[in-house]
Amino acid sequence: MALPLTYNARHLLARRLSSGLTFLIVAVVVFVLALLLSFVAGIRAALGATGSPRNIIVLKPGATAESTSLIPLDDLGPLIQTPGLAAAEPVTGTSAAAELFTTGRLRPGDPLLSPELAVQTMLPRRTGGAPANVAIRGVDDIAFAVHAEVRLVAGRLFTPGAPEVLVGTAAQERFAGLELGATVALGRKGERPYQVVGVFSAGGGALESELWAPRTMIADSFHRRLASSVCLQVRDAAAVAPAVAYIQGPAVGLEARPELQYYRDLAEKTREIVVLTSVLVGIMAIGAAFAVATTMYAAVDGRRRELAMLRALGFGRGAIMAALLAESLLLCLLASACGLLVSAAFSGRQQDFLSDTTWTVLAYELKITPGIVATALLVATAVSVGGTLAPALRAARLNVITALRKA
Amino acid sequence: MLILSYLHRNLWRNPLRVLMTGLAVGLPITIFVLSVAVVDGINRFLDNSARQLRLAITHKSSIVYPLPAGYRAKIEALDHSRPITVCGMRWIGGKVDDKPQPLSTLAADPDTFPATFPEYLTDPAERAAWDRDRQAIIVGRGTAAQFGWRVGDRITIRASVPPYSAIPFRVVSTAQDVVDPVTLFCRGDYLEEEVKRQGYPEGLVSFFFAKCRSPDDLEYYRTAIDAYFANTPDPTLTQDEKAFMSQFIAQQFDLPRNLTILSALTVLVAVIAAANTMSMNFRDRLAEYAALKALGFGRLLVFALIQFESLAICVSAGLLGALGPWYAFTFTPLRRLTLPLIQTLDVHLSVCAQAVGIAAAVGLIAAVWPAWAAARLRPVVAFRALE
Repeated sequence: MALPLTYNARHLLARRLSSGLTFLIVAVVVFVLALLLSFVAGIRAALGATGSPRNIIVLKPGATAESTSLIPLDDLGPLIQTPGLAAAEPVTGTSAAAELFTTGRLRPGDPLLSPELAVQTMLPRRTGGAPANVAIRGVDDIAFAVHAEVRLVAGRLFTPGAPEVLVGTAAQERFAGLELGATVALGRKGERPYQVVGVFSAGGGALESELWAPRTMIADSFHRRLASSVCLQVRDAAAVAPAVAYIQGPAVGLEARPELQYYRDLAEKTREIVVLTSVLVGIMAIGAAFAVATTMYAAVDGRRRELAMLRALGFGRGAIMAALLAESLLLCLLASACGLLVSAAFSGRQQDFLSDTTWTVLAYELKITPGIVATALLVATAVSVGGTLAPALRAARLNVITALRKA
Repeated sequence: MLILSYLHRNLWRNPLRVLMTGLAVGLPITIFVLSVAVVDGINRFLDNSARQLRLAITHKSSIVYPLPAGYRAKIEALDHSRPITVCGMRWIGGKVDDKPQPLSTLAADPDTFPATFPEYLTDPAERAAWDRDRQAIIVGRGTAAQFGWRVGDRITIRASVPPYSAIPFRVVSTAQDVVDPVTLFCRGDYLEEEVKRQGYPEGLVSFFFAKCRSPDDLEYYRTAIDAYFANTPDPTLTQDEKAFMSQFIAQQFDLPRNLTILSALTVLVAVIAAANTMSMNFRDRLAEYAALKALGFGRLLVFALIQFESLAICVSAGLLGALGPWYAFTFTPLRRLTLPLIQTLDVHLSVCAQAVGIAAAVGLIAAVWPAWAAARLRPVVAFRALE
């Protein structure tokens, strides 16, 4: 037979100060845990949502990112022979590619091979502070077919050869002066006015932090005759390995990386935060477990007679232990729910971080994911059980006769 | 004397509770010490930059755009009454083949580097090796330890920007006394040969560092350089070294600010944990405090008794919590743990002292309510309330 839950709830209320302080500790620990993990979840979500399993990024060997890679345009010729290279197929719907097909700027059968030029500019953040290094991608029309996840959400596509720029949704939210119709100064000297003609989304991925403009215009404005990288698409995932082998072989002699892996590698930086979080929260959680233990010991010592009475009435050792465990679980889970609620208030907040591989910023949103909620509840349970086990054992081992006699 | 022994016995009446409170206070103090040590490391790094009277001159549009190497002569000729030493730097990043860690390698003008960065090459033998050997490279002590490189070793680094080739170097110094433990410096003239051989554009630098003679000169050049190059194809942005460095730190999770918030939260946890214990102690000993007061002991004594007990627990816990990381990062293999930017974590005793001070404050704050309640206790009421 088990003790009713209201018994526990009332006991918690009877020791308001002690329960309240323990509640606060657990809530703070869960809050810190959830907040730190929400940084990681946000960055991983942005980088994880980028790329297609059929895409390959081609870089100069030795270069660590698109922004440090320079490939002479002459070297790109052999890429057209890449085995398994896919051809554009007409698409319908709302994607940017669909519009290009209807207007005839893209034709079925065009090779899905997109030379791209990665440059950057300094833009002020909406929140103030130091200006951010924002990535600009110079692209040809074919890029919209290769990066099929790119969709126009407002405005129109740029006209080839015109000083017009599309901005990603994340970039628009995070950086100032990127409204539709606004003029943004780009170029090596920051002297070429580009008009913002459209806003695009990219499935929540890293491309949404970028500005896209016609490649030829960017090449002129930034005095770059070279390409930074090439993104190409193969027919299916099985064709990726032979294509990579061909590109890295003597025929082309460039570095090829599957697009998904390229962005996964950029997320490597978040591993440091995960380690830091685990260590810090681990230490804090141990501290919290001891605080719970102190409270529960006091709970046991404060009602020896009562517990002995319960035993005398026929409640078993198990029931007593379960009751104490339920009491601390109730407290800790309520506290973690509270901590999670507070951290959820930060969810969706825009952040950005400067990658030390690409030297451009990635805009992302803090995210409280189901995984974080599960982790937080798990930590709270561990803290609760860890802190209660010893006091509960003491309560269960209580000698009924002596406890009752010692009033 | 009697009071002291009473205090001592009170402390050990519930050893388990004392132990657990100690841990609940000590562990957050450990976090506090680690956070402050990291922030300190970053600040030391920045303060060192501020003291150097150095300017960083980059391209106005973005740090990734190169500047013509010829700007050096123009800057040096700006005002002959204000001597300035300019050192061009070309960033080549770099990687050792088969190792994943990216390096931060800069190719510096060999003639002006020692004067611009006087903290390097202080040993005359190292200086001579830098001047003589065109393959010379200075490796930050943290990076050197990480890769196991010593002075005299031959190493090969593959550049991550043009010329993209694997370049052989010889280590001439591991910069033991320098604040920055990660950066590598090689000779710019040697890199230029490689750039030429691979057919990439020559005569470019990523940025310049300029050493001024006085703070007044620094102020002058901060505006004069930008004004001079304002209407050229490559306008410049001149910042003092501290501003130049902080922009990178602020954009990478803003560690100094976030760690400060985190350490404040952990101290809060410690306060709550200690307050919890002290209020429980107070409730348990209600009768005793009533008896003490009935016997004629004053408010002050009762107040002090509780405060001292809390203080004793928290200060000892703080000592252990602070000395733990100090020991770990000074005497154990953790010493070689590598962190971004500051590379090795130096836990200074001053930080530990600060942490113990905070632990003491935690103890005092935590006991304020119980101590005050005990001091105010009216013996008659308290006795009556007991069973």
